[in-house]
Amino acid sequence: MKKVYGSIILDTAFRYLIPFILLYGVYVLLHGEYSPGGGFQAGAILGIAFVLDGLVQGKKAILRITGETAVIIAGIGTFLYCFVGILSMLSGGNFLEYSLLPIPMNDVEKHVWGILGIETGVCICVMFTIIAIFYALVGKEE
Amino acid sequence: MSGLMLIAILLVIMIITSVLALFLKDLLAAIILFSVFSYFAVLIYLALGSPDVAFTEAVIGVISTTYFITTLRKLKRGSS
Amino acid sequence: MSRILASVAIVLMCLLLFSTTNGLPVLFDANSPASTHVTPRYIEKSHEETGSPNFVTAVLADYRGYDTLGETTVIFTAGLATAALLMASKKKSNRMKGGKDK
Repeated sequence: MKKVYGSIILDTAFRYLIPFILLYGVYVLLHGEYSPGGGFQAGAILGIAFVLDGLVQGKKAILRITGETAVIIAGIGTFLYCFVGILSMLSGGNFLEYSLLPIPMNDVEKHVWGILGIETGVCICVMFTIIAIFYALVGKEE
Repeated sequence: MSGLMLIAILLVIMIITSVLALFLKDLLAAIILFSVFSYFAVLIYLALGSPDVAFTEAVIGVISTTYFITTLRKLKRGSS
Repeated sequence: MSRILASVAIVLMCLLLFSTTNGLPVLFDANSPASTHVTPRYIEKSHEETGSPNFVTAVLADYRGYDTLGETTVIFTAGLATAALLMASKKKSNRMKGGKDK
């Protein structure tokens, strides 16, 4: 994996595929309430895009981080999930009670924004877990 | 009941695939049989009526096959 | 000898599982306890309480949000353990070569 694969088909095809994969991943995340989807599926699809980039380009990948950094960012994603719950506890309610979030909307829309915040946290956690395992596997060449 | 008959046929094919993956000498063929097993799990989840779980299993099948082939290439072992 | 023991254990486990799945309700049954007490409340009230037409996401993220937090923690811990295991073996092999350390 020190050099580009050297095959014209792979070098050309992945440049056409990656924008569509990223767009579809963000679509599945934001439409989690209307069609089958949600946080876990969107995180896996976005993780696949970065793994494809790392496989074909090697050292010149656009997100070349170690496994330790990726695990730290996955922890930030899980903390974002808890932060939505703590935010509703600071306004005087139970943990993850969406009716008391401090945003200026009416009651039903607060539930929608709470669900969106939760799914974003899950998406970041799953995406960076997949990237962390891939870069720990490929890691330093000897 | 055609719903239960379809699930029974898919389960039998899944068992045959997974038992066959244990007895192969070529590791690359065993990895491909893992991927086929994951595909039949997607069909069973669809026959049981849950598209969310089927979608997730399809994506995870792709990711786990990628990890297996990367590991195989790093170890440079084609058959055992 | 150990193969015979393993085969006997597998056969006993299979018999145990087959005999306990007789107690579950029939698939796609409309009179099971889960379909008569819990499901009508979720189907009728999920659109006006949570504002999302998809009630799988509403159950997973609103009515049972705490379980989804536990599942996310399990995924994060599994990724952390796998990454730590894979990176530890690389560091050991670099250390045994001798030469300059950073």
